[in-house]
Amino acid sequence: MTRTLSLLRSPKIVAAAISMGIFGALLVAGPVFGADGDSTGVSLFQALLIGLGYYLSNSPWLAGNGGFFGFYRPLVAGFIVGIILGDPVKGAEIGAAINVLYLGFISAGGSIPADPSVAGWVGTALAIGGGLDAQQAVVFGVAVGLVGTVIFFTRMSVDAVFAHWADARAEEGDLRGVAMMNWLPPQIFLFIISVIPATVAVYAGSAVVADWINWLSSNAPWVLKGFQIAGGLLPAIGIAMNMRFIFRGAAIPYFFVGYLLFVYGRTFTPQLNLVAIAIVGVALAFLHVHLLGDRAVQQRGTVR
Amino acid sequence: MTAEAPQVDRPQVSLSKGDVQRSFWLWTFFSHANYNYERLQGTAFAQAMTPIIRRLYKDPEEIKAALRRHLVFFNTEPNVGGVIHGAVIAMEEQRANGADIDDDAINSVKTGLMGPLAGIGDTISQGTITPILLTIGIGLATQGNILGPILYFVLEVGIMLGLAYFMWMQGYERGREGVTAMLRSGLLDRVIAGAGVLGNLVLGALAAQFVTLWIGWHPVTGTVQDQTQYFDIQGTVSSILPGLLPLLFVILTWWLLARRRVSPILLLGVYVAIAMIGAWDFFGFFSTSDCGSFLNAFGACAVPTPSPGG
Repeated sequence: MTRTLSLLRSPKIVAAAISMGIFGALLVAGPVFGADGDSTGVSLFQALLIGLGYYLSNSPWLAGNGGFFGFYRPLVAGFIVGIILGDPVKGAEIGAAINVLYLGFISAGGSIPADPSVAGWVGTALAIGGGLDAQQAVVFGVAVGLVGTVIFFTRMSVDAVFAHWADARAEEGDLRGVAMMNWLPPQIFLFIISVIPATVAVYAGSAVVADWINWLSSNAPWVLKGFQIAGGLLPAIGIAMNMRFIFRGAAIPYFFVGYLLFVYGRTFTPQLNLVAIAIVGVALAFLHVHLLGDRAVQQRGTVR
Repeated sequence: MTAEAPQVDRPQVSLSKGDVQRSFWLWTFFSHANYNYERLQGTAFAQAMTPIIRRLYKDPEEIKAALRRHLVFFNTEPNVGGVIHGAVIAMEEQRANGADIDDDAINSVKTGLMGPLAGIGDTISQGTITPILLTIGIGLATQGNILGPILYFVLEVGIMLGLAYFMWMQGYERGREGVTAMLRSGLLDRVIAGAGVLGNLVLGALAAQFVTLWIGWHPVTGTVQDQTQYFDIQGTVSSILPGLLPLLFVILTWWLLARRRVSPILLLGVYVAIAMIGAWDFFGFFSTSDCGSFLNAFGACAVPTPSPGG
């Protein structure tokens, strides 16, 4: 009990609890408030929630890993956007489709090829607001994700300033000050540069996207069909990006086994999902390492 | 510049398990809070060390020196790389108790281990665990099951936190020699090899589920008894092996990215262009087929019903 009370004295814990609490409460209230507004499109309140969620996905407040490995992923982001906009299943489907493109996403040494979190939060919101299906949404997600890297690179550049503020505190021997410079100013800055653009993009963008899609469907339906076809082609890039790291050596045949297992398995049971495949995979992985012994590890490769 | 630790007549200080855990949680939360191009995770390392420094050093000059020591450039994978922090905490503890460990020794452990552990850590966390769990979650979500994202989130965050805590404590208990020995033992290599098998199997299944490429085009081959004959390209390919085209397409994409070093952004643009051209209603205008475009979005275009004439 005293331990709990002493935790409350830490401003970091309080900040984390408050931000998560507000978001959690708003999440529940979101669909209720949203339903009060105009029936189509995204309300300002919902857009703000989505902007806040996007900030959280890049913040430390969800135990670090809950941000980068959780909310940052379009699968999770799309689901929460779906909750906010009143259709969790559709949100999860769109988020999942967008996420396939980022299966090979690896952030190493402060460089990212695209920003999955923007694609997930803003991309899913625009897709639902614009009435797109999951396959059409992929192209949107990618486009937004490429633009979103601007926020990441701005943050990576500006945050260097706060490192010098921390240096100054260190010269005073100020332990608390050094710790604070690592989280307070950079997070205030990140909050401003991420919540505002994301909120505006979702609020203003969804109506534009909806109009645009309407115009296209009556004047150039082949473009929408093109979006759908692209939604089937682009996942190959995400999958191939990941294959660069694991499609090598003695593990290569298993890719084809997995592919055929799914193609033929689906014709027998439409319910076949990847959980079953993954269980088979664990068994095969165990056998592979056990039988090949040290020969199994010779084709070792790491990301860098 | 740095204050040398006096080596005589100092009381023994030791860290409690709570201090080490406190440091762990500070790192786990704030490792990327001030991620920047100049020092990357440098200030986060210093923040994580504050409970340790507070406990070990009382002299203001020693506190300043310790802060300077840990505010330098640092970057590694935050979960697996926690083993470095554990080892550094153990070294700081020995140093505070008079052991002959200077700034260079601590710095060389940090800079020496952060590169290799970034490589191993990213391969395990971002390169293996994350895509495998994502693949499972995506598969479920696509079937309209909201357990997909929930299952992914719980498993991913749980595994990452468990892994991070384990590595951190291992580093602290084994110290720098123990960490080096662990890297050499080959256990990590076996884990990576097994993960490669699992990853390939699951990724192959995911490719089968998500990559679609349907030929819509049915070229006219002639007229028999006033009925137009078509050549069913998609049907012919599917009769060899269902899903053959998407499989070849994925392998081609991998070859372009991994072997030819084509930029993924360029490939993105090219594929969208191919999709748009493929969707264009060429044959609607030329009326050679009821299927209007080269490519189709969902499934094969049904072989057109034979119509009189051509």
